[in-house]
Amino acid sequence: MAKKPIISVKSIFYTAVSLVWIFGLSAIGHIVMVLIEKYNPAYKFTFAWQMAITGFVIIYLTRWMKSDGWQSFWGTLGGLGLWFSFEYSLMYGGERMGVCYTWNGSYPEYRLMKWTFMMLLMVFTYLLYQESVRCNFIFFLRRTLGLMRTKAIATGKIGNYGPRTAFEYIMVTWTFYVLLMIAYDPELFGPHSWFTYMLFFASFSVFFYLTYKLLGYGKFGANLRYAIPTVTILWNDVEILAKWGLLKEPWVHINWPIMSVIIAGFSISTYLIVRDLRGRKQEMIESNDVM
Amino acid sequence: MKYWKFIITVLVSLVLAGSVQAEEQQEKTHKEKYAEKIKAMEETFWAASQAGKTVKGVFVEGNSFFNGTTEPQNRPFGKPYTAEELYAAKQSAERNSKIFLLAEDGTLYYPCPRKGERVTQSEQAHRMPRVLTKQQKAEGLFTWSTQTPMVGRTIEVYGEIYPGYAGVKGIHIESIYFEGEYIVGEKD
Repeated sequence: MAKKPIISVKSIFYTAVSLVWIFGLSAIGHIVMVLIEKYNPAYKFTFAWQMAITGFVIIYLTRWMKSDGWQSFWGTLGGLGLWFSFEYSLMYGGERMGVCYTWNGSYPEYRLMKWTFMMLLMVFTYLLYQESVRCNFIFFLRRTLGLMRTKAIATGKIGNYGPRTAFEYIMVTWTFYVLLMIAYDPELFGPHSWFTYMLFFASFSVFFYLTYKLLGYGKFGANLRYAIPTVTILWNDVEILAKWGLLKEPWVHINWPIMSVIIAGFSISTYLIVRDLRGRKQEMIESNDVM
Repeated sequence: MKYWKFIITVLVSLVLAGSVQAEEQQEKTHKEKYAEKIKAMEETFWAASQAGKTVKGVFVEGNSFFNGTTEPQNRPFGKPYTAEELYAAKQSAERNSKIFLLAEDGTLYYPCPRKGERVTQSEQAHRMPRVLTKQQKAEGLFTWSTQTPMVGRTIEVYGEIYPGYAGVKGIHIESIYFEGEYIVGEKD
């Protein structure tokens, strides 16, 4: 269990920077895809391979990084690279099979992704019982449902957070895409259904709860890792507002003034994270309750 | 491994370098090409529209049309379906039931790829470049559309028309114009 957060100016700073960095990363990831599709669609599958190779190489290289901060920082980028290539692989599959857009506008790749929900559940089931997993949500499920023969909390040192962080980024992003696509499906729920409204308000509430918990992680590393689900949950609301027509996403409609602010925020937060991590080069944390 | 920073930089740079350099050189060209393409598309469309060479019609869903479950041809132009029929037609369309263009004059068009292309895919999976008025541009509306969300809506298209077969003509849609936003509807 996470301890009650000790809120200080320092922890607020770390939390704010981590949130801005992860949010900026997601926004920039989106606009990169939109720009490629608009100006040079022929390049997209080359880009997908480059991102896949880059992702794998980065994850591999984290084995030589000695601080959990650097491991988490690069692990997130490695996870993003692999996620890019996953989306593009679905796009390619959609083109090969002639998958069309839905009548409420969902793209072919996300239609395909929706039907990976059973695969997602299988992977999640493995994680649910995998004893070295340290996800707080999974701990909650283990405790509540009495899933484990032994105590539900993993302990001990983790050698490398890099692959874990990449996997966390992928799993969290995958889960929420599938959840949103199920919510948008008019034959199951629909964009204006009770389920989507519930998802919207639940995501909004959980975001604040997770931000509060995030304040307890006063170092880049744990803070960055915990910021991934926190921002992705907020991203649900961004996506739903866009689906309802209440928000024009600046990364989809290429709104450069807003994107400039996001890119600036991302650059400043990257600088602050790198500066902080360089200041405490080889520090490694040992934690009982952090992913 | 004290040189990991160096190795990571070299590896990532190698993977990205070629394309990034090419992208930098081509970025302006791609952007310019895109702008020129859109400008040419709009000019062609509006000129064709004035000369009466565009096709005004509605997209109709093929399965229910051909088996006679719906009769959009017998309904007032612009309102091819009842609300219930439209819901079913859109569901079928997104399950890849073929979509046809029913013109205002009653001609039926089958949207198809350009003549001569051999290995092709369903046109329903393609984005159609959208022609926007000045006001629509100012509103920041979507710059493209696909067929499925447009089922039942009045549209105007420009493209190559082919003789087709048995009265059903082929059309390769190059650009599309319609009012409002690409995705509409309270209960979509």
